[in-house]
Amino acid sequence: MAKGDGRQILMVGTRKGAFVFTSDSGRRSWKLSGPELKGNETYHMAYDRRSRTMLASVSSSHWGPTVAKSKDLGKSWKVSRTPPKFPKGSGLSVARIWQIKPGTDDDGVVYAGVEPACLFRSDDGGEKWTVNEAMLNHKTRKKWQPGGGGLCLHTVVLSERRPKRILIAISAVGVMRSDDNGETWGFKNKRLLADFQPEKYPEFGTCVHKLAINQSKPDTIFQQNHTGVYRSDDAGDDWKDIRNNLPSRFGFPATVDANDSERFYLAPLEGDFSRIPMGGHFAVWATDNGGKEWHKLDSGIPKTSYFTVLRDAMVTDQGEPCGLYFGSTTGQLFASRDQGNKWEKIADGLPPILSVSVSSA
Amino acid sequence: MIRVKLTAQLKDWTNGVSSLEMDTVPDLQSMVRKLDARFPGIGQRIVDDQEKIRTHVNIFVNSENSKDLQREMTKLRDGDTVHILPSVAGG
Repeated sequence: MAKGDGRQILMVGTRKGAFVFTSDSGRRSWKLSGPELKGNETYHMAYDRRSRTMLASVSSSHWGPTVAKSKDLGKSWKVSRTPPKFPKGSGLSVARIWQIKPGTDDDGVVYAGVEPACLFRSDDGGEKWTVNEAMLNHKTRKKWQPGGGGLCLHTVVLSERRPKRILIAISAVGVMRSDDNGETWGFKNKRLLADFQPEKYPEFGTCVHKLAINQSKPDTIFQQNHTGVYRSDDAGDDWKDIRNNLPSRFGFPATVDANDSERFYLAPLEGDFSRIPMGGHFAVWATDNGGKEWHKLDSGIPKTSYFTVLRDAMVTDQGEPCGLYFGSTTGQLFASRDQGNKWEKIADGLPPILSVSVSSA
Repeated sequence: MIRVKLTAQLKDWTNGVSSLEMDTVPDLQSMVRKLDARFPGIGQRIVDDQEKIRTHVNIFVNSENSKDLQREMTKLRDGDTVHILPSVAGG
């Protein structure tokens, strides 16, 4: 995918609508627009560079969830008349669309991960959606249990180099992979600890919080889990714990450097029962060697920062050096132009931030 | 005939129409389906994937809340007026 002229489009989904920040080519200044889709919970956003379309999962507390599309960087929106919808008789109803992921081919395919957990696919850029039958009718579905955020399919990972592969993450079911465009699914949770239940290493029932890959190395997957930080070098067939010197095994966001497949970023929390940053000071942690050692990146982040940064609210851009962004549920938005070494607050006072997405312009 | 009155919050789905008449249908579920045929997409705003009235949507038949009647299966009769409104959400 072309990297453009260096300008970035930062899409910030909040509890009260969507905000769009557009940078200059050096990522030094940001122009804000929004809120758009005012009053609607905007859970996740994506920019489909194939069609130059911004996509947003929006949800009204009254009128339910849908997908909105914008061709003018968020100034005007068209809402899908046929959003993800479970078939009648399934007993299921889409409560929230957690993730929107444009496909990797030039064919208009877009995926959506929803709650209750399932995958939907659109073949027309996000207007009309169909449920993934293999996942809907998966033989283990009745045993799937929700995590704290609900039974949600919150992550979809695709790779141009593996066009038929779809990797997804469901809390608290685990990682599933399809190698045939979603026709069949297999669990990929080997050696992922689930010490919150009697069977410590189950086939499914692990609590994956986020998956991330570098597109140049699609078989290497990093995972922030409820019980640790893991790495797979065989597309999820096996996992290795890479927590090492991290201060905590627990956290939610996870993202990989766009230019360095061994540089992986996390935001550790004190633990499951408090879910606050270590010592009340939010910090990003990074590894430069695929998880052997970790170091803290907190220059520019306030010393007292009990930020809650949700799983979809920390991302890396495609710039050189890689830019990094996070947003908090208390409305602060931070950016780094240099791989997290120095942070600047680029917005404050926003509504609770649910997701941060970025694309080159 | 029945009369259907819609909240202004749904005007994006109805091209601004806030009140309309339609031939009498047996129940609210049929009415929502008929509305959706005329204004594609509005049905899924009012009811969920299994055609149940959304939690924070109220449909009144005359002055009775359908949630106190038979919900989406509430019967309709010639001359009824149906109001589709968002519930009061907190405050």
